Amino acid sequence: MLGRRDVLKGAVAATALATPALAQSHKKIAFLTWNIIDQENLIRGWIKSFEAANPGVEIEWLDKKGPELPPFYQTQLAAGTPPDVINTQGGLWLEYAANGALLDLTPHMSEVQGRFNKDYLANWTYDGRNWMVPFYITKTLLFYNKPMFRKAGLDGPPNSFEALVAGAEKMAGADTTGFLTLNFDWLYWPLFAENDVHLLTPDLKKTAFNTPRTAEVVERLAKATENGGVNQISWTGRWVEPNGAFAAGNVGMLHAHSPAYFFFKGQGSWVNGDTLGVAQAPGYWATPNSHGLGVSKGSKNPELAWAFIKHVTDNQNAMRLAENRRILTGNTEVDQKLLARLKTEDPLVHAILLTQVEHTDKLVGNWRTPLDSRIKDAFWPELQSALLGRKPAKQALADADRRVSRELARV
Amino acid sequence: MVDAAAPSLVRAERGEAGTPPAWINRRGTRRVALVVCFLLPSLATFALYRVVPLFWNVVLSFQAWSPMKPARFVGWDNYEDLLFYDDVFWRALTNTLLWIAAAPVAIVLALGIALLVDSDLRGAGVYRTIVFLSYPLMTVAVAIIWRWMYDERGGLINWALRSAGFIEKPIAFLGNFDWALPCVLITDVWQVIGFYMIVLLTGLQAIPPHLYEAARVDGVPAYARFLRITLPLLRPSLFLCAVIGLLNSFTSFDLVYIMTNGGPGHATELLITYIYKLGFGQTRFDAAATATVVQFALLLVLTWLANHGAGGNAGAVERD
Repeated sequence: MLGRRDVLKGAVAATALATPALAQSHKKIAFLTWNIIDQENLIRGWIKSFEAANPGVEIEWLDKKGPELPPFYQTQLAAGTPPDVINTQGGLWLEYAANGALLDLTPHMSEVQGRFNKDYLANWTYDGRNWMVPFYITKTLLFYNKPMFRKAGLDGPPNSFEALVAGAEKMAGADTTGFLTLNFDWLYWPLFAENDVHLLTPDLKKTAFNTPRTAEVVERLAKATENGGVNQISWTGRWVEPNGAFAAGNVGMLHAHSPAYFFFKGQGSWVNGDTLGVAQAPGYWATPNSHGLGVSKGSKNPELAWAFIKHVTDNQNAMRLAENRRILTGNTEVDQKLLARLKTEDPLVHAILLTQVEHTDKLVGNWRTPLDSRIKDAFWPELQSALLGRKPAKQALADADRRVSRELARV
Repeated sequence: MVDAAAPSLVRAERGEAGTPPAWINRRGTRRVALVVCFLLPSLATFALYRVVPLFWNVVLSFQAWSPMKPARFVGWDNYEDLLFYDDVFWRALTNTLLWIAAAPVAIVLALGIALLVDSDLRGAGVYRTIVFLSYPLMTVAVAIIWRWMYDERGGLINWALRSAGFIEKPIAFLGNFDWALPCVLITDVWQVIGFYMIVLLTGLQAIPPHLYEAARVDGVPAYARFLRITLPLLRPSLFLCAVIGLLNSFTSFDLVYIMTNGGPGHATELLITYIYKLGFGQTRFDAAATATVVQFALLLVLTWLANHGAGGNAGAVERD
């Protein structure tokens, strides 16, 4: 019969035998996501299936809210321990890619040939190379309040900048305004693109916006803001305020990207297929604000990290994300399936999501410069001053020109 | 008579071999060593979290550095850039100074309330509790509450002003270049006034009553009693409030970040919020370090001025 001592000896021996094997095969990668904690079950499912297919691999999932993610990632970079797989929104990735924080995914792109929408995929190219792949995709569109349009005698969505502003002014009243736009991450830029205003020269080395035409556009918007055509929140709010204002039902149009719908639908009891109109912004211009997945250059297991990205974006897993969130993923096959299903299930959401894959050749506000965030911080406060009537448009543009030029000169 | 111990004492003083030096045996030295041992954990923490980062900031301010690039010495370039070309820095500095200037207003208000609740006013204890209640609230909660109170669409303040007929259209207080800073300052004063009141009340209650009685007997009028007795004896409490107000001005990050994020434009930008934006928004940690060093220098000067204004010995330990 085995004594207590024999059992202990056996356990120690078994542990000693097993440990080297584990140490040799155990690999851990970290997956950093951007405010998607609502999809916890889905993401844990992806991790579980990946770990099952790759024995000895462990994935640590970290989720940070939008304002927290960049500081977190930067401190991890400084510490030399960046998360292996990173999810970013908008143009944040550019600075990371340009400064060598991301792995060049170009050599791997043949492995996912034909998987992604090419216009959206092109959004993550810098210096001729691919740095990220789509996780989920969005771009701006125009939502409009049909009853307010009818009341103001407007036939349908505007097809030019002037029609948009004039229509907005028609809807202005004591408690109503005509137009609202989101303003972060250049989401307002389609208004300028429609007027042939360019922020930078094609080589991205000099400013191009300080022109009489830009001043006219800014003056027009400032005037409309003053008379209530354009809601002031367009230039002061971020996400909750403008979407909340549109949800209240007394704003004629909202220029925002597709996720805004789910926010204002949750707050606005008036929102349904009969009352909410969906259209492209004038000129079909739109600013993308998509989420991408990339691999940190400092990853100790880059191949594994890339394999995980392929796993997350494959047809099966991307479909689950698309269904759960009712969002397009940039995976062409998945998006087509989702749109086909929504056409009968939820025509309003279908109409909204359809705008996201139309006119993808007219994406603006996505300049491929690593100075994107600095240019934004230099440009926006001056533009905001002019739009809110604090400064004359010409002076604000001159001040913005000086500040943006200073940032461009830092390269 | 010859002292037999004398030679060994001389040897000990000289620290000759085999005998520990006399200073080690001294009671005072042992006491100091004991005190140092007790202080060491705190001093180590202070050094690690305050002195080293400050020193590192100074080093960083002379370099070009981001987490993605190796450091490069650039001399005074960062200071030149900040002081001569960065108008947002000057805006943030002006706002910080305005924030500091609001502290005396809060202190005067707190003194008034402290005098009231220190009097024979009925229900003084209740008022004291009500005024103090704002202070223990989390700043983030205060910021969110006030942000909604100032809200253009459903805010209490706009509703009250419209109901009373003072305004026709709602005002976007926090989105307005003229209103934003005063509104955030009002919130700050509201939160901190309770703390000032308690500090000043404690100071008022420490003033010996016989001084007032003697002055009253001598026929000294109330305003003179306040100017000649209350204010001079409240000096340490006032100094404490002033220093806390000063520090508060440099650290009011959460209130501004939540309420306005420094906007509209940079209308409510403080040095501390700008430093954060430079570092984590624009990945310019070198510029952020430079602004931090400038802020630290400013803080040193202002603290020295406050101490000087308070008689030059504020914070000194009084011995019987």
